[in-house]
Amino acid sequence: MAEPIVLTVSDLTVTYRGRGRVVTAVQDVSLSIAAGRCLGLVGESGSGKSTIGAAVQGIIAADGSAHATGRISIAGRDLTPITDPAWAQVRGRDVTSVFQDPMRSLDPTMTIGRMLNRYTGSAEASVAALERVQIRRAGEVLKKYPHQLSGGMRQRVMIALALAPQPRLLVADEPTTALDVSVQAEVLSVLRESIEGAGCAVLFVTHDLGVARHMCDDIAVMKDGLVVETGAADDVIARPEDAYTQRLMASRITLTTDRMRPVGAPEPAVVASMRDVLADQGRPGDDVADAWGAGDLEWERFMGRTAAVGAATGLSDVRLVEHVTRPSLAVNEVDKTYWSRVKGRKVGNHVLKNVSFEIGYREAVALVGESGSGKSTLLRIAAGIENPDSGSVDSQGVAGEGTQVIFQDAGASLTPWRTVEELLRERIEHTTTGAGMSRAQMRALALSTLELVGLDESVLAARPTQLSGGQQQRVAIARAVVVPPSVLLCDEPTSALDVSVACSVLNLINLLRHSLGISVMFVTHDLAAARLIADRVLVMTGGEIVETVGAERLAQDITTDYGRRLVDAVLA
Amino acid sequence: MLYSPKRTLKRLERPTPDRPDGAWSALGVGEKLSLVAVAVTVLVALVGPALMPYSAIIPSGEQLLPPLSPGHVLGTDVLGMDMATRLVAGMQRSLFAAVVVTLISAAIGTLIGVVAGFKGGWLDSALMRFTDLFLAFPAMIIAMAIAAAIGQSLGSAMVGIIVVWWPLYARLVRGEVRRAAALPHVQAARVAGVGGWKLLWRHVVPAVTPTVVVTASLDIGAVVMTLAALSFIGLGTPAPAPELGRMASDGMKYFLNAWWVAVLPSLAIGLLAFVFNYAGDALRVMLRRTGV
Repeated sequence: MAEPIVLTVSDLTVTYRGRGRVVTAVQDVSLSIAAGRCLGLVGESGSGKSTIGAAVQGIIAADGSAHATGRISIAGRDLTPITDPAWAQVRGRDVTSVFQDPMRSLDPTMTIGRMLNRYTGSAEASVAALERVQIRRAGEVLKKYPHQLSGGMRQRVMIALALAPQPRLLVADEPTTALDVSVQAEVLSVLRESIEGAGCAVLFVTHDLGVARHMCDDIAVMKDGLVVETGAADDVIARPEDAYTQRLMASRITLTTDRMRPVGAPEPAVVASMRDVLADQGRPGDDVADAWGAGDLEWERFMGRTAAVGAATGLSDVRLVEHVTRPSLAVNEVDKTYWSRVKGRKVGNHVLKNVSFEIGYREAVALVGESGSGKSTLLRIAAGIENPDSGSVDSQGVAGEGTQVIFQDAGASLTPWRTVEELLRERIEHTTTGAGMSRAQMRALALSTLELVGLDESVLAARPTQLSGGQQQRVAIARAVVVPPSVLLCDEPTSALDVSVACSVLNLINLLRHSLGISVMFVTHDLAAARLIADRVLVMTGGEIVETVGAERLAQDITTDYGRRLVDAVLA
Repeated sequence: MLYSPKRTLKRLERPTPDRPDGAWSALGVGEKLSLVAVAVTVLVALVGPALMPYSAIIPSGEQLLPPLSPGHVLGTDVLGMDMATRLVAGMQRSLFAAVVVTLISAAIGTLIGVVAGFKGGWLDSALMRFTDLFLAFPAMIIAMAIAAAIGQSLGSAMVGIIVVWWPLYARLVRGEVRRAAALPHVQAARVAGVGGWKLLWRHVVPAVTPTVVVTASLDIGAVVMTLAALSFIGLGTPAPAPELGRMASDGMKYFLNAWWVAVLPSLAIGLLAFVFNYAGDALRVMLRRTGV
């Protein structure tokens, strides 16, 4: 049964002209989608996938900043890649879209009903449209404004709106990336069922191979503006042929990934860090890349304190302390309520309810929970950024100094006008280790730490804005461990990163954890990442720790509702 | 196995080199033009009066000569003084006064705003209520009262404007400091152990500076206008000193038979205000480019 081709893109090239610079976003891309098929456009940031999404929606502005060649044909109509008046007949009719952030793409001044009725014509038809995206009590939802709905509901409404005009082509650009992990799976299955019912062609733009496999019939993998591999979804996932696709696949972590070894393919920067660690311990490390590639490089091998940092902190004998009874972090009955005024009345939001837990010396603990569960507040209290209403936090462990944080957005956590050297020096200056150090000593310590995270001496003089996202994340890590803390607090350090970069950050945290012997508290909603770092996983809901699970058999042992939903959200 | 020195093992990553294009090349043609216009205007105001062949306060020709008269390119006023000379001299005065007023207002307001925004608590409330007190009165009326109380001179007009102008900066800076202090990098610096005034100076204030600088450059135009308005109603520089607002107001009487006496000073005021407003936007682009 050959369905008619709905979308054809031929030889599409798009270049953007910034101030004095020309960037080629997409180069000679050709693809087509038949009615009822879903093509996944997979790639990391900067691969050009969103530009293709924009071109086939006719929303690349004709303001002279973009230049494009090639042809786009939608349902037999020839169109230009850069928008022109002909697109007005197509946009919102033959082509509709589901965007990443439903809050920003739904009109906040209109009720859902008013938006939907424009396409369906009647309230009854609108109710039916909402029911198709599995919204219960659709009649009530019609009377609501977007801000009165949850994120998952808003995205369902968005899907209903996109399918209401009965489009020939639906473009979904990262439709679940902005949603809480536990509702992503639900929204994806709603989307999947809706498009099967609608029979339109779908261009599904995503960075996540797992999501793509779940959603798409075919996959096109993009890198640097080029399509490097296309094929049926199952083939591409199971037997990737291109080296980049293979690397992308290797970077995927699941609930069965081996926790004892580095994940992904051997990466030059992480390998360099590993050799650095071994060299500092006076051991050879020439074989680590090969051992990693062969799959028999264990984290065990890096256990011990590096000589440079050990000497600097005077704690080189710490690894001899085998029976440490003092925990690195002790949180005792911490309680926190946020107060706000609603219509003149004080309303309390009890975010942490008598929370207690400990992190042992060298132990790594992950804290998982949905947004609003109190996990971020707990991290901020542990870091000393906020004070608890009652209870106490003790981070005077047997080794290391205080707590340090790796923030979710590493770029934003580095002061843009300070150089990397200044940023690292600030941390050194404010520790007892660094109190008596000269500038030169601090510089040497900063330099050896940068090398430890795979960065060059020239980074010292750079400002954060000159660094790539991955480099910024490593500088943030370097600042956190330049004087090893008692506990390293990680606040979703990988959720904003591309899979391959996330992978190297996870490897780096694991490497530092083992070689420096620091304890880790890892806050996340990605169970797969949590399992990789942590020995123990704490599940939080409603301000309480409801479950503690060992990491190794996480998927089998987890019992709470929310925990189960998180397990389901990790698409294998 | 051999122990290899780690330098040879390293394949480290380097930062992307400094963008070869600096702040200047980030500007569009219009923005570059605006900065050139400011430079030319300032230059004219600075050295113009010294180059003029006439005095700004001594009659040098027939009365009310129209523009393009021989020897008087822009004509003369009702007393026979050269218009071009008086305009350039007036621009010098206005510009000097406006820059001084803006700098002092911005300095007072920034100081109070930074302290209020960073310290918070009762000090914040006290400082802001104090600021509100000044904001509550109509600016022109206060300026008039002050100028009237300490006598008619350029200085008293300037004091009057400063008194009503600084609260705007205090408000603006307080808000900006509070915003900047909540930025992730400030929290990160706090976690790294930086605190107190060091935190404020190194991690917060640089985020506020561009806003203050851009606002100040935009304000120069507005202060020129306000000064002219005060002079226009007779509260600025006494005659015959060349002051643009005063010249415009005096010229109104002869508007029907000698339009240039009122219109040219008004145009000069407009030019100053426009040039600085326009350049404010260019400045914003340049400061953003430098990484804030």
